[in-house]
Amino acid sequence: MKKVLAVVLALAMIFSFAACGEEKASAENVVKIGVYEPQSGDNGAGGKQEILGMQYANSVKPTVTVGGTEYKVELVYADNESSNDKAVSAATQLIGAGCSVVLGSYGSGVSIAASDTFGEAGIPAIGVTCTNPQVTEGNDHYFRICFLDPFQGTVHANLAKEKFGAKTAYCLGQLGNDYDQGLINYFSEAAKALGLTVIPESFPEGNSDFTSYLTNAKNAGADVIFAPCSTSYAQLIIEQAAAQGINTPLLASDTWDSNVILAAANGKDLDIEVSTFYQEGANAEFEASFKEWINADSTNLANNGGNDTLAAVSVMGYDAYFVALAAMENAGSVEAADILAALPTTTFTGITGAIQFDAIGDAVRDSAVIKKANTTTESWEFVATQTVK
Amino acid sequence: MLNEKKNKTNLYIALGLLVILYVFLILLDNVLPQNNFVLMLVPVLKKSAIYSVVCVSMNLLNGFTGLFSLGQAGFMMLGGYAYAIFSIPHEQHAAVYQYFDGGAIQFSIPEALQNVLGDFGGAFVGSIICIIIGGLVAAGVAALIGIPVLRLKSDYLAIATLGFAEILRAVFQWDGLGRVTNGSNLLRKYTSFSAMKIGNFKIGTLFPFLIATICVIIIVLLINSSYGRAFKAIRDDEIAAEAMGINLFKHKMLAFVISSFFSGVGGALLAMYQTTIQAAPFKSAMTYEILLIVVIGGIGSISGSCIAAFLYIACNEWWLRFLDSGQFFGLSVPFFRDGFRKVVFSIVIMVIVLFFSRGIMGDKELSFTGLINKIKARKEKKGEVA
Repeated sequence: MKKVLAVVLALAMIFSFAACGEEKASAENVVKIGVYEPQSGDNGAGGKQEILGMQYANSVKPTVTVGGTEYKVELVYADNESSNDKAVSAATQLIGAGCSVVLGSYGSGVSIAASDTFGEAGIPAIGVTCTNPQVTEGNDHYFRICFLDPFQGTVHANLAKEKFGAKTAYCLGQLGNDYDQGLINYFSEAAKALGLTVIPESFPEGNSDFTSYLTNAKNAGADVIFAPCSTSYAQLIIEQAAAQGINTPLLASDTWDSNVILAAANGKDLDIEVSTFYQEGANAEFEASFKEWINADSTNLANNGGNDTLAAVSVMGYDAYFVALAAMENAGSVEAADILAALPTTTFTGITGAIQFDAIGDAVRDSAVIKKANTTTESWEFVATQTVK
Repeated sequence: MLNEKKNKTNLYIALGLLVILYVFLILLDNVLPQNNFVLMLVPVLKKSAIYSVVCVSMNLLNGFTGLFSLGQAGFMMLGGYAYAIFSIPHEQHAAVYQYFDGGAIQFSIPEALQNVLGDFGGAFVGSIICIIIGGLVAAGVAALIGIPVLRLKSDYLAIATLGFAEILRAVFQWDGLGRVTNGSNLLRKYTSFSAMKIGNFKIGTLFPFLIATICVIIIVLLINSSYGRAFKAIRDDEIAAEAMGINLFKHKMLAFVISSFFSGVGGALLAMYQTTIQAAPFKSAMTYEILLIVVIGGIGSISGSCIAAFLYIACNEWWLRFLDSGQFFGLSVPFFRDGFRKVVFSIVIMVIVLFFSRGIMGDKELSFTGLINKIKARKEKKGEVA
């Protein structure tokens, strides 16, 4: 028995060894785009939605013509498991596969952790929805197509002041999560400048009881609650706020732009407003075909969370793919070094608006979409386009 | 007499293999073509060298002294943070500590040494000093918490150390210490393995192996010394050991502090490997991962821990990744989907723990002469049958 098992295990090892050493030889011209996204871990759901956008874009335009030669575009995936300590090997996997350009990741921490690895290999990376300023700061190879946290924090501070006439804002974020804490920091700065009182609090990882935090907010007389945390906590916060009868407006960032939040808020008397990259309904033709594509495949449907509501991150993933193609066309080459050189001058008008890069490598964007959860129809309602100069 | 000779042969073979390994690592960085295989091999080797240090240090405590401690991740975090904090170049402080006015510590040891010793010398010596600081910080904290915690036994000790590691993580994430630890945010831009090069001659892969070899050799020497024999005596029977005149508390403390020192060194190396460090990943799951490697390798076997560290890291980060890709030898396999790797990996681990509960090596060490003798014996046996 033991011997048989040992042999089986050894065989499994050898097979896997052979499988990873395998390289596909094909006669046609292929250009590889690396998809550096979390497919498991805390941000797995968001990462999958972002990948969906890229896959759809790939199905819309599977080839690119550069310098008179037609190349087939192949997406190569690496799962960074939402974890910084897996970032290096996931990034190396993409470099090893010979990717010319990398897209991702959902989550700024993993992007920063892999940045040096991409940089040393000379491969350009395009951040899709990583909003932390540190991703692009101080390097030449990381670009991004979304807005930044300082901007998003300011948008919410303005919203709290102008729309809700708030005097006191309560901020709730996860301890140890750089995304939550960064946004709260920028929100506080902007809100204090507007004359608001800010009360920041943090909850530990894995916390499931938010009643005391919500009571604190109520006792402090908060006019708005700013909670830019991940969706798993967001669901609990929504449930418990409704159960306690706290109907202080909940403001949140792009992570809350998810059908999970809509499902949680359904039928509850809550005012939830989020800032995001794209509002569903802005481009009906694009959405109809995207949804058709999602519904055609059960895997895609499952990756989108079981229904065909379009997430803003999917649309951003779609745009990122086309920015990468535009950069190749601009460079007139599919070599990583040429694409890297061409990216700063690459422009593209995508579904989420015109995209061009500034000196740091960030997209020039001065507006965000604010939308509100409709708790009866389970959908997002467009509120305003908030602009900060 | 015969034994001594055997030991010497073993030593020479080991030294020879070590030299071959080092030459191979240098070739890997400088000469060999950077194809898919080499590119994946390099990070896997680096990480497994780092995990070897941590696993051997855990084995020293759990396998040789019989203290079931689960604080490894906490000590690694201490080492990693201490390393990072003292090696971030001055000009990067404002960018790294963006929410905390550039931080409280405004100097960098590698940078200061680079002005004196040149680029490579400064980075090399400076990072070694910072690694040692990382180890010392971990050891110092271990000495402090050892006083109350080491009075506990078995499960209670495990719970206390586990709780301590979790508390430590929360403290590091606290905004109040933000000017030192950067709160919940990443520390980055410090000296990493890629700084280890003389001109174009890179030793980025060799470096973690050098440190790991030194650490493992020190631990092996310790285990074979009179202190090591005392540790084993405590593991086998505390009362008997005490009756023989071994000071229980002193020896437990010694093992705990030394183990934490090497965990801190491992943490510092991990910080170098990751190029960024954040408190969030250093949770109990990381300790379990290390414990798992120790169990797979064999509790009480140094060479087992090293072998298991390599196998575990290679499977987790490389060999089993194809299970997530949906492809197998060019065939499309629908259930090979993201997350499937974790399922297969867990089953393999379960099989190992259930059917090979003593791990790869048990409590024996890898012996080259022993290996040769075994092969010889098997050949002779076969010859008899034929």
